[in-house]
Parts: sequence; structure tokens; C-alpha cells
Amino acid sequence: MSEHEAIVALIGKSCLTLDDGNFESYLALCAPAYSYCIKVWSPELRKDMVWLEHDRDGMAGVFESLPEHLQRSGRLSRLAAVATIDAVDADKFDVVSKFIVHHTDVEGRTQTLAVGRYNDRVVRIDGAVLLSEREVELETRDLGIGLHLPL
Amino acid sequence: MVARDQSSWEKRPDMTAGYFVSGLVYTDPVIYRDESDKVFSKVWHFACHESEVPEIFDYRVFELDGQSLFAIHGEDGAIRTFLNVCSHRGAKLLDQPSGNAKSITCFYHRWTYNSQGSCTGIPRASGYNDVKRETMGLREVRTERLHGLVFITLDDGALPLAQYIGPALDRFSDMLTSQPLEVFHYNQAILECNWKAWHETNMDLYHEFMHVVLRKTQVNAMPMEDRKLVVFEGGHGGSGGDLKAAYDGYDGFAGRGGDVPPLPGMSATDFRFINLFPSTAIISRGTVVRIDTVTPIGPDKALLKMRGLGVKGESVEHRRIRQKHHNQYWGPFGRNVPEDMVAAESCADSFRNQAGRYQIIARDEKMAGQDDAILRAFYGEWGRRVGRDPGAPVK
Ligand code: FES
Ligand SMILES: [Fe+2]
Repeated sequence: MSEHEAIVALIGKSCLTLDDGNFESYLALCAPAYSYCIKVWSPELRKDMVWLEHDRDGMAGVFESLPEHLQRSGRLSRLAAVATIDAVDADKFDVVSKFIVHHTDVEGRTQTLAVGRYNDRVVRIDGAVLLSEREVELETRDLGIGLHLPL
Repeated sequence: MVARDQSSWEKRPDMTAGYFVSGLVYTDPVIYRDESDKVFSKVWHFACHESEVPEIFDYRVFELDGQSLFAIHGEDGAIRTFLNVCSHRGAKLLDQPSGNAKSITCFYHRWTYNSQGSCTGIPRASGYNDVKRETMGLREVRTERLHGLVFITLDDGALPLAQYIGPALDRFSDMLTSQPLEVFHYNQAILECNWKAWHETNMDLYHEFMHVVLRKTQVNAMPMEDRKLVVFEGGHGGSGGDLKAAYDGYDGFAGRGGDVPPLPGMSATDFRFINLFPSTAIISRGTVVRIDTVTPIGPDKALLKMRGLGVKGESVEHRRIRQKHHNQYWGPFGRNVPEDMVAAESCADSFRNQAGRYQIIARDEKMAGQDDAILRAFYGEWGRRVGRDPGAPVK
């Protein structure tokens, strides 16, 4: 697999694993120093906001506590299209993907929930490409009932 | 007797008046219009925080009961509010949620207005015989500030704000005024429920049991009987003494992850809240304040607006921690807020088409524990204003 293909597959798997609730596999895609945040521009405040911020342990905690929480029913489906891959150095890449998240309720009705970009830093460690930073740049600001899961 | 048949299901609950609410208050279209005329058009509403319009000519557009309005910081320092409606043919004047406008120009025929609401320009005014600039000002809406909060009322004859609020905000005055605060979080959401179904989540302490975080950090943090709740004339109600949170009880919340000075008059583990009639809640968790306000869109649709406030000018690191404390509970990815939304929509769903008939708000714990007194105070005021008994609103 080419480097490019490996990176595209990594972004794809980050979506699939979250959709499937396969959190161990999601964390296996993340470098030890993983950081995750959701950033949103507020035209009301004319400021950037952070709606969620976690390191790898924080993400693991979110996943662990999930079954105890009351959540919207149904399933999420994340679709990402990798737009650009820029090499920072031999083992570091900046990857920008556009994403769309659909929600399918228990009656089987699907609606668009959110759109935005994943601004990722991907690193190569021992030959494997891993996510080291994910900034979710969220365009959708009304999420109706919010979410306990990262996007 | 266990399950009930239809007549028993529909029957007025065998309880003290005021201890239950008919589901019709959420769904009946006539009641909905009454609320608009007798509640939303009459009372004072929280509009925004003054930090949202810090500079001269800064404006903030917001929606109230289906109407678009904007608050603008005038040259004289006053914050005034106007309907966001051009006097000429009704075009919406400002289409961005916020901005800065020395002069407001309507896009349609280019009439202009200043920050005091005067009409300052009419292109080719000579073509009119009986339209005078002086009579074409914007509709100004009464605006008053209290503790940095900007309130408005659509009723020109309403009592002054201070009289409307009474002592309900006294316990918040230190926190809100002894250092300047600033809104750092804003989000809004359309909920598929009546506005009251959302606001009840702010007034109902009993639902602490729904939130796993509160089961672990709050219900046992202090003896229930030591809690003090308080209600005020006018339907406001909240905590009369601070409640406690034991953050270590929830994995990942130990020490809440970072040190930041608590807000004045609070410790980091204090929890304080007030609900201002009809639809604003101010909640402080020691280090951070949330203000939420809900406004109707239809009988079963509501617009919820949520703000998080920190200390203006604080360090980047402090802001980051405060933001984290906010996001742990609140915001679209918080541990609690999405759960409240699920609850509000779920109940609303059940009252649609009268499947559900009554809500029970009968907990009586002598103003301690999880007493429903705040809900009862709300519905008492609601009933007085709309002229209906919340338990039997339709004859
Ligand atoms: S509608 Fe505004 S100028 Fe005509
Ligand atoms: Fe709640």
C-alpha cells in the first residue's frame, strides 16, 4: 500500500470504528500523544470556541463511560473524503478531509447531522501511520440533541 | 389496582391543586397563542450579556417568540434594542448574528438608521408627500441592564426590571459583577418540544437521577435535607444555599482537571442556580456560569440558546480550564445537556395527541432535597398570567 493509500485508509477507519462503537480499534489508530478537539467559529460571539478537548486518556474515558449515559437512539454514519495530504517531514503529514455525519434513527429515517473538516496531523511510528492530532472544524452549530460521542 | 383504564388515565389526579400539570399546556394551539400574548409579550427576557456588545456600535441579533430583534451599543454607552424590521416595507435590517454598524442600511431601498433607532436617510425622499424621516424611526423595545445581563420587554408599560426580578438575582450579584465576565461559549439548538418541556429540566431537581454524572457527583455530595431551595414572587426559583458537587465521583472529573480561581463568593465545588420566569436559567458550577434561555417557535418547537461565561481578560490557560469545566457538563458535547434534551423531547412526544395526560410535580420536601417547589412556582405564575389553571387549562 502506498503512503497515500495508507493515510486515506487511516482516515476511513477512524470513521468506521467510531460508527461501529469499536473504540479499542479507534484508539489503536491513535498515537500515544493523541489530542482531539472540536472547534467551532461562533458568528454570534465572533470568536472561535472549543466544544470538546481530550487527550488520549480523556478519549478512552469518554468511551468507557458511554454505556452509562443516556444518549439519542439510532446510529451515526461518518463519511470523510480526504482532500489534501501535505508532508511536513518524512514521518509527519497534515491531512485535511471534508466530513459529513448522518444520523439514522430507530425508525430508519436518516438525516444530516453535521458537516465540517477533519484537520489531522498523521505520524509514522514503526512503519504504521497513526493519528496524532485531530481538530474537528465543525461547520454545523445546531446539533439538536447533542452528542456524547466525538465526531 | 395496578394498570389504569382510559377513564382513570384521563381523570384529574387525586392531588392538591398545583401538584400536577395538564399535558394540554404543551400542545393546545390556543394556549400557545395566549402564552405569546400574555407571557412572552409582557415579561422581561434575558437578551444577551453586555460583553457581547463591548464596543460602540456593536450589535447582537436575537430571536424572541418568533420575532427578530437586535441590541446595539450606542455612542452614549446605552444598550438599546429594536425590532429588526425596516420601517419602510419590513425587510430584516441585520442578517448576521452580530457585528458593528455605525449606520444601519436596509438592503432593500437603502433607508438608513442610527444606533438610537432614528431614521437618518431616505433615498429620493422628495418623491414622498406624507412620509417624514422623523416619523419613520425603528420600533424601540425597552432595555435594562442588571449585573451585566441585558434584559428586554416588548411591553412598553411593564414594571421596571428591578421590580420584575425582585431579589431573585441577589445571590448572583457578586459573581456576576465583582469582576467583568465574558461569554466564551454560545450554541443554539432547535428542540422538538414545547419550550416549557425544556425549561422544566432546569427547574426539576429530581431528575438528577437521570444523569449518571449527577448520580455520582451530586446526589450524595451533601445531605438532601441540608439543601435549601427558594422561590420568589413572580415565578422565579432556584437554590437558596449552595449545593455541593463531589467531582471525584466521576471518572475523569477528579479535581475537574486543572486549577482556576472559582467565581467570587463560590468554592470550586459549589453549585448555584436560579430560574427567572419565564425561560432563563443561570447556573454556576463554582468556576463557570451557564445562562440558557428558551423561546417558542411553535407549540412543539423551541429555540434554545446557551451561553458559557468566564472572566474577561483572564489568561489563556485559565480560560482553557474554565472552558473544559463548562464542556464537561454543558454544550452540545457535555455529559449532561444532551441528556436533558433527550428528556425534554421524550416527554413532549408523549403529550402530543394526548397520549400522556398529566405531569406530576408533587414532591414536597419542605424546600430541601429534590422538592418540586420551583416547578410549582413557575406554573403558579404561568397560570396567573395566562388566566388558566395549569392542571385544567381547557374547560
Ligand atoms: S424595506 Fe427597508 S428600505 Fe425598503
Ligand atoms: Fe439535567
